[in-house]
Amino acid sequence: MSYILGVVLLACTTALTCALPGVFVVLRKHSMIVDGISHAVLPGIIIGFAIVGDLDSPVLILGAAVTGLLVVLGNEWLTETGLLAGDAPQGLIFPSLFAVGILMVSMDFQHVHLDTHVALVGDMNLAAVIPLTVGGVNIGPEYLYVMLGLLLLNAGFIAVFSRALKITTFARQFAEILGIRTRLLNTAFMFLVSVTVVAAFNAVGAILVISLLVVPAATAQLISTRLSVMFALTAAIAIIGALAGFWIAYVLDTGTSAAMAVFYGVLFVAVAVAERTATRLRRNRHQDVKSEETSATLVRSASVR
Amino acid sequence: MVPKLSWLRLDSHHMDPVEFFSNHIFRMVFLGTTVIGLVAGALGAFAYLRKQSLISDVIGHAALPGALLAFLAAVTMFGVNGRSMLLLVIGAVITGTLAALFANTIAARTKVAIDTAMAISMTTFFGFGMLLLRFITNNPFPGKGGIQDYLFGNAASITRADLTTSIAVGALAMGLMVVFWKEFTLRSFDPVLSTMLGFKARIIDTLMFTTIVIAIVIGVKAVGFVLMVAFVVTPPAAARQWTNTLPGMVMLSGLIGGLGSGFGAYLSISLGNVPTGPVIVLVLFAILLFSLLASPKRSVVITALRRMRARRALKQELISEGSTR
Amino acid sequence: MTSTPLACESQDLSVVYRDEPVLRHVNFRVPTGSVMGIVGPNGAGKSTLIKAMLGLVKPLTGHATFFGQPFGDVRKRVGYMPQSASVDWDFPTTVIDLAVMGTYGELGWIRRPGKAERARAMAALEMTGMQDFASRQIGELSGGQRQRAFLARALVQAPDLYFMDEPFQGIDAKSQQAMIEVLKDLSAQGKTIVIVHHHLASVLDFCDHVTLLNKRIIASGPGPETFTKDNIRMAYEASDGAEAFLAEAG
Repeated sequence: MSYILGVVLLACTTALTCALPGVFVVLRKHSMIVDGISHAVLPGIIIGFAIVGDLDSPVLILGAAVTGLLVVLGNEWLTETGLLAGDAPQGLIFPSLFAVGILMVSMDFQHVHLDTHVALVGDMNLAAVIPLTVGGVNIGPEYLYVMLGLLLLNAGFIAVFSRALKITTFARQFAEILGIRTRLLNTAFMFLVSVTVVAAFNAVGAILVISLLVVPAATAQLISTRLSVMFALTAAIAIIGALAGFWIAYVLDTGTSAAMAVFYGVLFVAVAVAERTATRLRRNRHQDVKSEETSATLVRSASVR
Repeated sequence: MVPKLSWLRLDSHHMDPVEFFSNHIFRMVFLGTTVIGLVAGALGAFAYLRKQSLISDVIGHAALPGALLAFLAAVTMFGVNGRSMLLLVIGAVITGTLAALFANTIAARTKVAIDTAMAISMTTFFGFGMLLLRFITNNPFPGKGGIQDYLFGNAASITRADLTTSIAVGALAMGLMVVFWKEFTLRSFDPVLSTMLGFKARIIDTLMFTTIVIAIVIGVKAVGFVLMVAFVVTPPAAARQWTNTLPGMVMLSGLIGGLGSGFGAYLSISLGNVPTGPVIVLVLFAILLFSLLASPKRSVVITALRRMRARRALKQELISEGSTR
Repeated sequence: MTSTPLACESQDLSVVYRDEPVLRHVNFRVPTGSVMGIVGPNGAGKSTLIKAMLGLVKPLTGHATFFGQPFGDVRKRVGYMPQSASVDWDFPTTVIDLAVMGTYGELGWIRRPGKAERARAMAALEMTGMQDFASRQIGELSGGQRQRAFLARALVQAPDLYFMDEPFQGIDAKSQQAMIEVLKDLSAQGKTIVIVHHHLASVLDFCDHVTLLNKRIIASGPGPETFTKDNIRMAYEASDGAEAFLAEAG
């Protein structure tokens, strides 16, 4: 497999792996918690790297994901103390963990040489450098297979728990009556998100991974009314963005993840504007009928009185 | 990538406070970070009470492209020093504000919820900033050395002119807060009454928002954009545990921010080769933890103990009640 | 009826949230000097009616007048007590500071409250029996004390018309008695009071006028003749609370 094809496939797989759990992240209104997770896994990754010596190792990925869970549980604890107002609990824990990570990076902790720039936005090209060879044949970057494995895991988890996730998202109390352990399910789901964030770190870094997770699903949310449709659209948007981001980065000689993030943002705005325009046109067409209808019902209710 | 502090490092292993403060540059670093911490802490109190903590994170990340665009405009169009603090602040205020408006517009006009809207706005602006950063480092612009410091800050890069600018801009924002104290308080606490009494919500919100954005972008050189959220959120959260009045909270929050930042900057220089922002964030977090644990009225430990004791007593009472019946 | 001047009145007020009508053609009239109770089931639009009249929610149709004038011209004659649930009780403010907020309207932009304003706030706290709690943070008060603190703030405003959103929510008997005393005093001075209330059994204890609301006005007028079984049943459309109340009332 050629190196370029490897990078393209890696970009697509990473985008898809992040975007799938992103659907429930968006629907459950957990986007900014994921922002916290993505910052907080940095020290976990560096410590793991110092021990294991390989950013793609499953041991590192699972271990570092635990740091992400610290943010989820820490936020819950801070909120439950009732001592802090509004959304402050979410803004208090992750900066400190991230700060620890940055200090480790800049102090060359255990001789881990990690560029701060890479820590923030990753490096898709670098991530695809080490090939996996089977029987002397290069079958693409080793890292691609790590992400593919995680893609299967994410898809599997969502397929198995789709119903439970759906109920806990839209009717939490009802879910508890049904005997679904909502808190456990939420923690498990957030752990999986954390694992995804860590795994994607190599390619997209600590900050822009949230773009891959959240924006495709949010764009799909604009134009879908059913969950299955939303999943399909999310996957399509994720891949379009990966291809476009790769191409932009290639032409401009710049970072793939940053290009992807900007493209996803612009695509979101385009879809939002188009959706609103379409709605307005539709409404205009029905305007006369509808306004008559509304006033008719109002008049009717008035005359009842 | 890592701030170049090697020339400071010479004395770093035997740095004592006397030596620290007799050095002009160190004094500058200490004063600069203290001013930033003070302003961000005091103004952050209102961001905290308006429940706008996370939008501060969005503004901080989104300020990056603004500062970089200001740099580009300065070197290519005006031929002036691209790292002038005033230009940076102006650029950062513009994109930071745009990002916040963008997030609010998404939440108001589409069915996407506010937290996702914030994530979209933040990553799009920050991604654009990283593209610009790559563009600047790849091309021979004059004075681009150290531009990476915008991410995590380098207190040693603060000049006397920067300090003057920080104090002037910070004083302006604090002045607004003092002049409109009554309006800010009422709008934060009871927006309904505020509007009823005839105070125009849009005017107050614009003024408050301006002060919050200034509080965030003022730290660009010394602490960078990525961690600025901690400077705005942590001091008020800590201060709230010790005081029950708003003036008390704002003053204490400013004090915690100022002293915490000054101390953090001192530590970061004493340690040698480390960026300033992360060290200060950890100092502030330590102050927060201490406040949550040790505040006499609200301590989590004391509360938990009190609750446990009350429960035990109640249980005894209920049991004895049951046995007599 | 028509000879009594109106403290406030809404004409054809309709409010829509997104595309859901919340209020339809509401013509709400409050005679000066009356104590008007607004009752109705959850989601009947009680709070919305107040907010729409005060211009806090934009109505789709209709408008409201206060003492015959638009609200903007008579702001200072109208006081307000918020619903307890909408208050941030952890806000760092003390009882006396809260009461002083009642003077902000007449102070206008930028001017700060001084000694005179604090003295007035203290006097209002004495009226509601809250003077001993002046320096307490508002979250440290009991439910009844909280409402009395907010009532004091409304008194400081010294308006001619009071809007109170569920002032008896979650309070003890003693506080309720203290508040009713104050309301009776105000009424005796000729002030007008509009109370959103949801406890059917006690409405007539302190209201001389009642409005039954369920997205539209079911009935409105002097208490006993308006607060009839049929009207209540119509407003609540056989909701459990009303059935229980009606059964009890016989």
